[in-house]
Amino acid sequence: MITAPLALENVTKAFKDGEQYINILEDISFTAEKGKFTAVIGPSGSGKSTFLSIAGALLTPDQGEVFVNSQSIASYKDKKLANVRLTSIGYIFQAANLVPYLKVNEQLKLVAQMKGDWDREAKQRLGQLLESVGLKARVNYYPHQLSGGEKQRVAIARAFMNNPDIILADEPTANLDQARSDEIVALMAKEVKEKDKAAVMVTHDESLLKYCDTVYRMEQGKLIKGR
Amino acid sequence: MFSLALKEIRFFKLKYSLIAFILFLMASLVFIVSGLAQGLSNDNIAALEDMSVARFYLQEDAENRLDQSGYIIDELEEEIPREAGWQPLLTQMYRLDAASSETLLDVTLIPIDPEAFLYPGVIEGQNLTDSDALEIVADQTMKADGVEIGDTLYEADQDLTFTVVGFTENQTYRHSPIIYVAESAFYNLDLTPHQVANAIVIEEVNQELQADINQVLNDGDWVEKDAIIQAVPGHSSEQMSLMMMIAFLIVIAVFVLAAFFYILTIQKLNQFGVLKAIGAKNIFLVGATLLQVFCLTMISLILATGFTIFVSNILPEGMPFEFDLSLIASYSIIILIVSLLGSLLSSTRIVKVDPQQAMGRTE
Repeated sequence: MITAPLALENVTKAFKDGEQYINILEDISFTAEKGKFTAVIGPSGSGKSTFLSIAGALLTPDQGEVFVNSQSIASYKDKKLANVRLTSIGYIFQAANLVPYLKVNEQLKLVAQMKGDWDREAKQRLGQLLESVGLKARVNYYPHQLSGGEKQRVAIARAFMNNPDIILADEPTANLDQARSDEIVALMAKEVKEKDKAAVMVTHDESLLKYCDTVYRMEQGKLIKGR
Repeated sequence: MFSLALKEIRFFKLKYSLIAFILFLMASLVFIVSGLAQGLSNDNIAALEDMSVARFYLQEDAENRLDQSGYIIDELEEEIPREAGWQPLLTQMYRLDAASSETLLDVTLIPIDPEAFLYPGVIEGQNLTDSDALEIVADQTMKADGVEIGDTLYEADQDLTFTVVGFTENQTYRHSPIIYVAESAFYNLDLTPHQVANAIVIEEVNQELQADINQVLNDGDWVEKDAIIQAVPGHSSEQMSLMMMIAFLIVIAVFVLAAFFYILTIQKLNQFGVLKAIGAKNIFLVGATLLQVFCLTMISLILATGFTIFVSNILPEGMPFEFDLSLIASYSIIILIVSLLGSLLSSTRIVKVDPQQAMGRTE
């Protein structure tokens, strides 16, 4: 029985490159525990994004198993995968990827509405989340009125909105300067601890590793613990 | 879904109002052309459509045209009494001189038995009576030429003076108003030594009577009203060309809308990818797009209806334009349905978006 919110077992994924197949991920096993903030580092092209996509129910592996909340999702079809993403996983992308025509509070409301539980309790959670990422005063702002750091903070709040067990971040600081990067990752670490989530962050910025509990390095399709 | 669709329209006001504006213009044109088609059709065949006649008996080589057919019906009058259910239909083109109009007025004169089923009745003034006086009831479109009850209309060739005693409605034929005169008054003029008719008409299908009449006249066929209407000169060519315009307008409107939404969708593919990555299902995204199309189309159709009402009010009187709300409603439904179908083109793109593209992407 797997107790961790997220577990990958012997996952392999290959892509076709011209005539031959190239193994992007080779026999990877990984677990993310509650309350732990894990970082995955590695050079570009090492397979970090593919790893995160498979962990995040965006891609299905060629071989191996992916467990989200002890459900095996490797064989799920699109619609079921969408449901897993909606309820169990919160994403923070490289760019904030906010919906341009929604105000800050509507960004969060949208994910609750998609899940179909926009109620008093969700409304409260929305208020608390915006409070804790320090955007209480920006509730009625559109994304184009926010700074890069503020946008990324909205994205963090959005990732937590549906109360998922897993938080996945794909280079969340790529578009930010050093000071902002620290601020954002510190905020993520704080939220992960407070709300007891299993979080995985892919990054190339080693200065951010001080906020993480565990560090993995991705190299030529293999995941190696430690720097 | 609903709020997402509307919020996007609210945010990108200019973009969406431009689309709605184009759709509004197209829909207005559809409505106005259809009003014109309806008006022209009315002008041409309203009297025939209104006539409570089931079958027409015309000469075989008349090609269903009333003006190409003619009978002398003295014998028929003797053999079969009109009480059996038939009436003669005689149309005569006249040009009348009215004091109120500088030009001669083209009319179709129909002598009629005011007691029989062919007589439409008046909406204003007095009904015809079986008198010998040259009294007429005229279609109300003649009011546009300044004709009023009590006016006299003069026909120069035969030196006839008609007095208008009432007005009828929907009595137009071949783009001219019909004037009805009592049969008694018409035959009292002694213009013809015989009783004549272009066609024999019956109110209801009656095989026996039809056979009897055929026996007596022995040169003709019973045809349905529809065939007569289609054979009215100019009618089908007029309607067909206008209908073709309408059909093309609808097709163009749909393609414009579909193309706009397709381009908008392509612009938003990344956004759809992100939304899918955070858990949006296809039906949610497609639904939002269809809702936007629905809203824009509805707004455009409502504005276009308003505009058509406005246009119908400022058009000069006598212009053959018919504002028919049920016609507009049916074109609206067609436009709405085809625009939703058109936007399904974008939907296929939305369904194909891979949520994985949200990963590793910069804005």
